[in-house]
Order: sequence, then C-alpha cells, then structure tokens
Amino acid sequence: MKSIFSMLASVLLFASASAQSVDEVIAKHIDAIGGRDNWKKVNSIKAEASLSVQGTDVAVTLYMVHNKAMKQVINVMNMEGYVVMTDKEGWTFMPFMGQTAPEAIPAEQLKAGVDELDIQGDLLDYKEKGHTAELLGKEDVDGAECYKLKLTRKSGNSSTYFIDTKNHYAVRRTSKMTANGQEVDLTMNMSNFQKLEGGIVYAMTQENSSQPAPVNFTKVQVNPTIDPAVFQVKK
Amino acid sequence: MKQSFIAISLFVSCAGSASAQLNSSIFGMMEARALGPGSMSGRITAIEGVEKDEGKTLYVGTAGGGVWKTQTGGASFKPVFDKYCQSIGALAIDQRNPKTIYVGTGESNMRNSVSVGDGLYRTTDGGDNWVRLGLDSTEHIAKIVIDPSNSQNIYVAAPGPLWHDSQHRGLYKSTDGGKSWEKILYIDPRTGCADISIDPKQPNVVYATTWTFRRTPFSFESGGVGSGIFKSVDGGKTWRPLEKGLPAKPYGRVALAMAPSAPENLIAIIESAKTGLYISSDGGESWKQQSATFNVVARPFYFSTLVIDPKDPKRVYRPAYAFAYSSDGGYSFAEASNEGANVHADHHALWINPTHTNQLFLGTDGGVFMSMDRGSTWMFMQNLPVGQFYHVDVDRHEPYRIYGGLQDNGSWIGPSASPGGIGVGDWKEMYGGDGFWVVPDRRDPNIAYAESQGGDVNRIDTRTFKSVSIRPQPGTGEPKLRWNWNTPIATGQADPGNLYVGAQFLYRSKDQGRSWERISPDLTTNDPRKQEQENSGGLSADVTSAENHTTIFTISESPLDANIVCVGTDDGNLQITTDGGKTWANVSANLAGTGIPSQAWVSSIEPSAFDRQTVYATFDHHMYGDHRTYVARSTDMGKTWKRLESAEFTGFAHRIREDRVNKDLLFLGTEMGLFSSLDGGASWFRMKNSIPWMALVRDIQIHPNTHDLIVGTHGRGIFIIDDISPLRNLPGELSGRDIHFFPAPPQTLTTGRFGGGSVVNGGFAAGNPPALPAFQYYLKDRLTSGVVKLEIHDKSGKLIQSLPGSARKGINRIYWNQRITPPKTAGGSTKRDISGFIAPQVLPGDYVATLKVGTKSFTQPVTLVHDAQSTFTLADRELQHRTAMELFGMHEELAKLVADIMARQKSYTDSLPKITRAKDKRRMQASIDSLEALRGTLVPTKQTSVFADEERLRERITEVYVAVCNNEQAPTNLQLARVRELRRQLDEGLTQFAKLR
Repeated sequence: MKSIFSMLASVLLFASASAQSVDEVIAKHIDAIGGRDNWKKVNSIKAEASLSVQGTDVAVTLYMVHNKAMKQVINVMNMEGYVVMTDKEGWTFMPFMGQTAPEAIPAEQLKAGVDELDIQGDLLDYKEKGHTAELLGKEDVDGAECYKLKLTRKSGNSSTYFIDTKNHYAVRRTSKMTANGQEVDLTMNMSNFQKLEGGIVYAMTQENSSQPAPVNFTKVQVNPTIDPAVFQVKK
Repeated sequence: MKQSFIAISLFVSCAGSASAQLNSSIFGMMEARALGPGSMSGRITAIEGVEKDEGKTLYVGTAGGGVWKTQTGGASFKPVFDKYCQSIGALAIDQRNPKTIYVGTGESNMRNSVSVGDGLYRTTDGGDNWVRLGLDSTEHIAKIVIDPSNSQNIYVAAPGPLWHDSQHRGLYKSTDGGKSWEKILYIDPRTGCADISIDPKQPNVVYATTWTFRRTPFSFESGGVGSGIFKSVDGGKTWRPLEKGLPAKPYGRVALAMAPSAPENLIAIIESAKTGLYISSDGGESWKQQSATFNVVARPFYFSTLVIDPKDPKRVYRPAYAFAYSSDGGYSFAEASNEGANVHADHHALWINPTHTNQLFLGTDGGVFMSMDRGSTWMFMQNLPVGQFYHVDVDRHEPYRIYGGLQDNGSWIGPSASPGGIGVGDWKEMYGGDGFWVVPDRRDPNIAYAESQGGDVNRIDTRTFKSVSIRPQPGTGEPKLRWNWNTPIATGQADPGNLYVGAQFLYRSKDQGRSWERISPDLTTNDPRKQEQENSGGLSADVTSAENHTTIFTISESPLDANIVCVGTDDGNLQITTDGGKTWANVSANLAGTGIPSQAWVSSIEPSAFDRQTVYATFDHHMYGDHRTYVARSTDMGKTWKRLESAEFTGFAHRIREDRVNKDLLFLGTEMGLFSSLDGGASWFRMKNSIPWMALVRDIQIHPNTHDLIVGTHGRGIFIIDDISPLRNLPGELSGRDIHFFPAPPQTLTTGRFGGGSVVNGGFAAGNPPALPAFQYYLKDRLTSGVVKLEIHDKSGKLIQSLPGSARKGINRIYWNQRITPPKTAGGSTKRDISGFIAPQVLPGDYVATLKVGTKSFTQPVTLVHDAQSTFTLADRELQHRTAMELFGMHEELAKLVADIMARQKSYTDSLPKITRAKDKRRMQASIDSLEALRGTLVPTKQTSVFADEERLRERITEVYVAVCNNEQAPTNLQLARVRELRRQLDEGLTQFAKLR
C-alpha cells in the first residue's frame, strides 16, 4: 500500500508532449497537466480514494505537504492503518497486517520515498532540481503510443515515464526500488485524467503492480490547510 | 455538466481515431501465460557475472530465450531482452561500469538447429533499455571482450554466417565504446573469428582464433586453410600466426584459454586431423601437446569452452560433453560426479565467481548448474524456462495436457492447469534423446507417440511411459529409409484413427503403429548429391542424423476428408493426395511465380477446415542463407498459390495455423516472432502480449474445447493465451465501434477447479487459467477520462456486486466470483475478521451485467447455472445459500449492535467530564463498564496480536459462515444446529443491550 505514495506523486506530475527533444516532451507534458504556473502553486493536497476487491471497499486518505511530508491513511473493515513519511523519517502502522505498533520504514525505502515528497512532480523544473532526463524513444502502452522518458533524480533513483503522444499525459511510470539490496521493479498505470481546482490535471485512477485493484480518487483538494500533527506518529 | 462534457468529448475523439491499424494491443488483457517449464530448461550459451558483486548479479545468454538476469545469485531470474533477437552468442560486462552490458546475438554453437542473430546490443542501465550498435549482418557472434584498462576498446569475434559466404565475419574492434567498428582480422568469406583473449596485464596483447566452416542442409564441414591461432601485440593493428609446436594445418575450430593470473600461460584445443590439447607458457610463442581425454577433444565444433581459474593458473576447466577439470594446468583431467544433480551433457558456458572461485555457474544444453566446490557437485537451477520445443500438441483431458519435444531434452507431458499452479514437478519426461513431435492418440487417452532424432518413433503409454518402437522398416528390395532428424508424426484430423510417419515414403497405420502401410512412392527429389551424410563433419566426423536430407518433413491430413493428405519435404516438394495415397500430385512447381525458392523446406502445411480446396503452407529457406518469411495459400488444391506477405514479418517461417471457427483468423510462427491476421492473411501484426517479440515460434495449436492458443517456442518454452474466442468476432462485429460488450455465455456456478494450499514452490511455476469465465469488452482506444466498472444486478434489479474494470485498448476482462458483496462485519477489535472479504455465492438464475465506460452503459444478460453433473444437488445448493444468507444477516446485525454499543460508550465517555457529582460519575462509569463487558462478549477486545485468538460471538459466527460459504455441499446437521445456537447468542446480546438502555 505504501506505493500509493509513488502513485500519487507521479500522478501529480503527468503531462504531455509530442516533440523530439526531451525538454520539448516534458514541456508539453507539463502544459497538458495544467501548466507550470499552476503546479508551482500546489503546496499541499488532501485526497480521498478507494479500491474495491470483489466488493470489499478499502478507503484511503492521503495528506501531502510539498517537500515536507506525506501520510496515507488506510481503512479496512473499520481498522485504520497508515504510512507516514517526512524528509527525515518514515513509519508504517498496519494493524490489519498484524502490526501492533508503528514500525520504522527501512532506510533504503525511505530514501526512495523522500523523492516522492515533491508533489509538484519531479519533471517540473527537473534541471533546477538536479535531475537528468533522457528520451529513450517511443513505446506502446496498452495501445497508446508513448514517449519513453527516463528521469534520473539527484538522489540517484530513477523512473521511466510513458507519455501519451496524443494527449501528453503520463499513462505509466516504472520505477526501481531497492529492498534488502535487491532492485524491485514497480509499475503504475494512470487513467481517468480530470481537471481539478487550480487548473491542474490529475489521474483519478491509478493502478499499481503491487496492488490487487485500481485506486479511484473520489475527491482531491488542492492546497488545503493540513495540521502538521497529522504527520506525527505516536510511538 | 462539465464532467459530462469532458466524457462526451473523449468519445468523439475516440471515434475520430477509429481507423488505427490493428496491432498487438487489440489483445488487451489477453496476455499470454508463460508455462515454462523450468523442468528441463534449455541450451545456455553465455554466462557473465559482475565481479564486484560476489556472484549475486549475473546475466545468462541462451540459444533461443534471450538474456536473463539474476541479482540473487541464481535464486531468481528475470528476462531482460524480450523485445530483441532471442538467439544469444556472447555477453560481456564492462566491469568498470557494471550496468553496461554488451549482447552479441546469434549463437555460435554451430549445430544444425542454431538460430541467427541481428547484431550487437548494449545496455547502460543493467538491462532496462538496449540499443543496437551494429554488426547486423554477422549473424553469429562468439565472444565479446572489453579492454580492462579502457572501456572504449571492445573486441567482437564473429564467426559469421553459417550457411553462406559472407564478408561480414572476422574480428571487429571499436575504440569509441561501440559507436564505430573496424574489422581488424579477416581471412576470407568462409572463415570467421571464433575466439579471442586479451592479456589483462598488457591489453595490447591479443590472441584470436579463426575458423573455416560451412553448413548446407545436407552436410557440415568444420576446418579449412583459414583456421588458425593469431597474436597481436599492438591492440589488433597487426597479427601473426602462432605455429611453433602446433600440429599441421588445416585446423578446424580452436578453443583458446588464457590464465588471467598468469597470462603468459595459454591452453588450446585444436581441431585437426588429430585433435589435441596444447599448452604454452610463453605467450603462445611455443606450444606442447598434452594427453587429453575423450571429453576434452570430443566434438570441437560444438564444444568450444575452455576456462582457467581467475586466481589459480593450474586449475583448468573443460566444459564439453561432460564437465572435466584439471588441477595441473591441463596435464590431466578428471570429471565431475553427478552427486546433487545429474549435470546435463553438452556444455557451452562457464563463469567462475572471481571472489569465491569455488563457485561456478555452468551453462549446458539443459540449463544452468551451480557448484560450490569447483565442479565436483552441482545444483540445477529450475527457474530458467528456456526450453527449446520443436513441436507441441494437446489432448482433451480436463484440464488438457500439453505434449512437446525439445532439443536435447526429450519428449515431455505436462498439465495446462494444476493445483497451486504448474510447477516443475508437474512435467514428466516420457521419452529421451532429442525430442521433436509428441502426438497424443486422438482416441486412446493413454497413448501418445514420440521419437528421438532420426525417426526413432515410439508408442508410449502415458501412465507408465513404457514405450514400444514402431518405426517402419524397409521392405524387401526397398532402399534404406531416410528419416529426417525431426521426423514428422501426425494423426488424422478427419479420421482420428490414422497415424502417419514419413521417411522418403509416407506410412500410415490404423492400429497405433502395430502395422503399417506404405501409401506413397518416394515423395522427395531423391537427389543422391544430398545423401552423403556419412562424410559429414569436416575434420571431425559428425554423423548424428542432423544432416539427413531428401526426407519428408511435414504431414497433414485434411480436417474435412481423410483421403486428402498433404506432405512437405525438406528439399522443396509439396505433395498432395486426394485418394488416401493411391495417387500423388507434386504441386511445388506451381509455387514458382510466388518467389518462394524451389528447394526451400516445406516447414508446415495447413489444410483448411472450411474448404477442401484450400491449403496454407510455410517454407524455410534459411539453410541457403535466405531468412525471408515465406507463407502462401492455395484455394485450388495447390494448382495456384498466393503468397501472404507483410512488412511486419521477420524470420523464416515454421508454422501457419488457421482458426477452426473463424477462417480469417490466422497465426504464423517464425524464427523471429508470432504473427496474427484477422483478415485472412491480407494484413498481419506481431503479437507482443507477454510473448517475446522475436520469439522462435516453432508450433501453434488451438484447443478445440477451451479455445486456448498454445505456442511452442524454441527457447522460451510454451505460452498459452487462454480463450481467444473474442478475436473470432472482432473483425466483422466491431468494425466502427468504440466500445463493445461481448455477450456473456452461461456460467456454471463453481468455487473453482482446485483447492489446496499455497502456490507451488521451488523452480519456475506457471499460473493457472482463470477459474471462472470473464466478462469481456473491447475498447477501440485506451480510455483517458472516466472509469470502467461492471455492475451485476439480480432479476429484481437489486445491485449485488460492483467490480472495477481496465481502461486499456483492446479486449478487457473482468472476473466476477459469482458472489454478492461481503457483509459489513463488527469492528472495534484489533484483529481483522475474514468474513468481511467472503460473500455467499448467488443462486442459479438470470442476472444482468452492466458495463459502465465513462458515461456510457451497456448491458448483457447472464445466466448462472447449477452443475447438474455434480453430487452437490440443487437442493443442497439452495440450503447452503439460505444458511449462508442467514449467517450473513447475523454478521450485519452484530456489526450494528457493536456499533451502537460503541456509540453509546462514546456518548457516555464524552459526557463524563461534565458530570460533577461523584455518585453520578460512578454510575456513568458503571454503565460504560457494563457496555464494555457486553462488547467483550461479542467481539475480541483484549488481544493485541494476530497470533492471540480471542473467540467471541463474531468469531463463532465467522467459523460457520466461512465454512458454509466455501463448501460445495449442503451444511452439515451440526452446522445447522450451530446456526440456531449462534442466533440465540446474538439475540441474547441484543436483549442485554436493550436492558442497558
């Protein structure tokens, strides 16, 4: 479930392109998802989402403060768990998985997670952020011709974005995570793009390779006030 | 309004793009299921590891299965080269930048069945992305070496094309990291470069071996004046031959090894009139012959691997027919034991972990083996599904079984589904040798026919694997029978009692091979120039039936008429009889106008199931150096032919298959891909739906009952696309539609085919097909805005289930578990209650499925039926359903009761601080405590661990509820009695709560 973090972050970044150079592709992508100016104003997000497994609903609430903290609250059958990540620490508490107290997120996962705190998206102003991008060509994703674009972040972590050549939305992101020294591939598919308040475009349906069903966002608030206490963990 | 407008705009936009060309995305969620197996694996051609990684990260190159990567020292593998040529000749890792790997395509173990490559590739991110660097026409690459002191200097040894003269062979060098290449050692159009070593201490000192070789369809020659050993001391600018102490030329293939820790020490196995082992201790300036065992010098064209330990110059490994090692620098050799694993014969790759040199990874014709004791004992890695099937077939068992023969790995049988998934243990080898055709008897479920190379045909009892040789023998006065290495065996499609095998004559049996009738004259060209196989091999005789020629290669009986039999030969004849073999017509001359070469192998023939006059055929001309894809159709029994062509095609053709329901649905397998046509061959597209794009597709079957497409590959095992029936309706029904919801056929109520525990463990495991039929819909384009979901309503119109759907282009599938939505169960405890995920199965009857795509809705009725054949009667099912629903209701009542208790507790607790009188406070607290005591009888309230059971009413209801929901039987008498007791306990709780008001 913690991968919802990465889903969300990538959603936030997706946009369009149809050009030859990597910068042109990224510029068109940013324009398609609402434009740089609108995204630069995004400092916090609160989102409600759910996923359904053969009729059993799992409710998810996300809180994100740009470059500072994220929290994902998961409610399964009246039991509440969460994942919290800040730029300094990360915790999970999943009582429905048998956890009886918050557990610290391993350092290597935390390192990857910190990249996701950039809710404005790591393609936005990527050079200023110290990232590098490379256009690897075009590739089909579920029937959509896409630009394949590899972003290597300042941290060393990398993701590959697949940006639809028609509408310039990012419809897939693949990432590598390191777990116990081994690389793990993660894939997230995005669809149901909707324009939100503030003019940004958001993928309201996200499907992660590690999850049993797609996550549907039902409500996304842009720039709500989020009490910092939300991210505090009672250890 | 705004949302609707967006959705409508989308559909308008989709309609505007409706003319998009068909491609593999039409399959949508109809992804192939990789069946493996890992049981026998396949030929491994290269293994390289990251030196600084202590043997954890390795790359494995295969003969026909691409490149596989492990980051776990072999505990798990993943393919990293699925979009490219699958035949791998060599790998090299830039150890200074270990995410940079070079792949040379085109295996160089030059046996008759070797595939071809299309150049050199490089990744700089550990295999995620690849670029082709050139050398496209080399066809075969034997070795890649990177200068350890300068990663820009790369050497590529290319033996070059096997079947024709070419200047695209020799030793190539790049000094700019692969951007440009210079051929630095070239002898002649028949001689390539087979091996190279570079001195790690003086990188300008380079050794290379050259090799003259050639195959024809009917001969092989290893050796010639161009073969030799050469040395350069200036990084390949100039070369001189090494000869002192070496045998007289001509040479054949030379295997060369250098001791990395003492590079002046070299060892060479030189194929010559007297093939031998030679040792040099002065950088190749002089050599001495050493004694050598049979294994060391056997079959040098095929066994070219020789490796010296990275640290110990005296420890020499000779992986060949068997695994031999020397501890005295090659003076003497011993062979590995078979303890731990019986190491498969025929070795082609060895990687020694330089950090722990006791650890070896060995590549054989039967997969990768790992040793922790320098090769004395081995462990087999069963997780590399790279089996090289020649042919596959299926029977009508439930679930059906798959039969197939593999290169150097015999004939196997395995299930298409198995409890927990299909593991390595589910596959059994029914016959040995090289395996080819394995054909089930169409009438006797316990009999199959299998063979080993050169016509060794057997009837096999599939229960015991006891075999009986049934190979036809020549009659008095008849010539020696000529059996292809890959001798065809066929059973009748119109008359399932017919069994056919072909030498140069066609034989038919009607009694499972107990007696045979020769029903043809010699159907080949009978060209004596192509029948001199006893002279094959070159310097080393190599006569294994692999070069047998002027033989029958494929046989097909028409599905419409058992008297129509089509036969193709390896020398270009296509013969048809329409009278059961009394007379034959050779129609191959009629192909002349199509551009299909006259001597091309007729690799498959497919008589149509719709028209007696229509026949399809594929032709393979690669043994004459021509890799084009030849496939043709005749609609007049071979009198005239139309070639089916496509710019999409790559690779020489092996198999054409016509669907048995839709005559316009065709599948084509080639050496480089699987292709499909939905319009009778007018247009084609490459299938990429979880199938390697350039898979070596040797055979294709369509199961008559399940409608599965079964694909046999020569290097990636078997793939199944479950139930392709939606494709049968696509071309006509869907033309012009953006969305289509397919009719839902009646579903039999079931909890699934299998029970059992967790998935199989150990080795490669394949998933099972879906246990239930899918609701299927087609989207012309990927949905950008809006969601897809499926709602199920009962006949009263009540919504009973809602399921999310995929938004991808093509065929999408949603599986409904035939159950309603699970109950809302009582919360408040610290332990999850499983009942919240389990629902009663619905009753037989009519339901309505509504597909919602954005703002559009589509409905299809669906009928769920009771399995009348089951011992679980309809009355049983109805009682089960009633009982399950009663327990369902009790769970929801309990959930409400617990929620009410907790709400009142909260109310009291919130009020507590406002109460000032101590007596009132105590009374309020007592009420809270009473409520908590009641709650504690209904749900767990004390436990803090999932391992600490605390049985309360919720758990007691769950125990019976889960059992009743999941059983395919009527509830037992005690379960029914228990429901009554639990009802009483629940009523008691309700009463107590009422009293506490």
